[in-house]
Amino acid sequence: MKGPAEGTLRSVAVFAATVGVGVATYIAIADSGSGSPVCIGGSEGCRTVAESSYSHLLGVNIAVFGVVGYLLLLGAAMLRGDGARMAGFVIALAGFGYSVFLTYLELFVIDAVCQWCVFSAVLMTVLFAVNAFRMVRYVGTPP
Amino acid sequence: MSAQGDERRRKLLQLASAAVFLAIAGVVVLIVVNANRSSGGDASNLQGAGEVNRALAGLPQNGMLLGDPKAAVTLIEFGDLKCPVCASFSEEIIPAVIDSKVRDGTARIEFRNFTIIDEQSGPAGAAALAAGEQGRGWNFLEIFYRNQGVETAPYADDEFLTAVARAAGVEDIPRWDRERRSARLVGEVKASTDEAPQLGFTGTPSFAVQGPSGKLEPLGTPGSADELESAIDSAG
Repeated sequence: MKGPAEGTLRSVAVFAATVGVGVATYIAIADSGSGSPVCIGGSEGCRTVAESSYSHLLGVNIAVFGVVGYLLLLGAAMLRGDGARMAGFVIALAGFGYSVFLTYLELFVIDAVCQWCVFSAVLMTVLFAVNAFRMVRYVGTPP
Repeated sequence: MSAQGDERRRKLLQLASAAVFLAIAGVVVLIVVNANRSSGGDASNLQGAGEVNRALAGLPQNGMLLGDPKAAVTLIEFGDLKCPVCASFSEEIIPAVIDSKVRDGTARIEFRNFTIIDEQSGPAGAAALAAGEQGRGWNFLEIFYRNQGVETAPYADDEFLTAVARAAGVEDIPRWDRERRSARLVGEVKASTDEAPQLGFTGTPSFAVQGPSGKLEPLGTPGSADELESAIDSAG
């Protein structure tokens, strides 16, 4: 299988995970108290999503889990070897799966879309694609 | 790649395949469980009415004012009955304030409508005011919160509001039904909704405190009962 060099994939993952840390941190801070992220164009979607019962899991804002997930992905992207490849893949898979669920909630349950959440879902999709390719192409090969 | 390396790669890829399978199964389970989860707002199965009515028993109510009418300080909450954060406040923060400041007559709490969620917020707010006309406004409010449905779902229909009013102990339901549709109470909901932005409020719940001077001091959305209690102490 041909494709981008592993170094290129890792660079893309570092970039996407870094942006993801920023996005998730913004959502977590903006959503603290009774605030909410500001949607571009003045849409009420961000506020509706932030005020929904789905914005917290076990009493913790889900954006906080996002920050942790992106930091772990950043770490996996910066490390070499099969451990990092597998860890990056599994974490990105979990993040991508949860993003699919959250997008389902936005579209079919909450009936509102938060642009920041969509941006985060896109980042997680990119990270899943990059980490999946890195794992399938390079796992079992020397670092 | 050596045979050993091939074997290791094969095993890791099998592991990854299993992880993908588990992830797909996990997402499907989450969606199915969520779809089957009660969306609340069930008029035929209201929860927590007994607990609410017991907790409020013995506390004076006048309209949407809860507590001693002579209390020097009034804590005013601007809320929307369909707002889930307001429901969280009503369960996690307000009871502590009632116990520490309302029961001893230090302060009273007033609920004012700030209807921002959807078109059912106004009628729900007017229904609470109508329950307040019969001294059961806070019972209505708290029982509604404990049975909130999914925020944007149209659960707060006539059947639901009537069920909440009955559970709240509103005695004259025909009168309540007339009054909740009256121009006076509908206008009151609109007036307080118009008042909130003038105090700088943009979301619910938002609080203000009024001391003996009569001046309304906006507090925004304090994150704890302690902050509300401090504001009450300062205003007094």
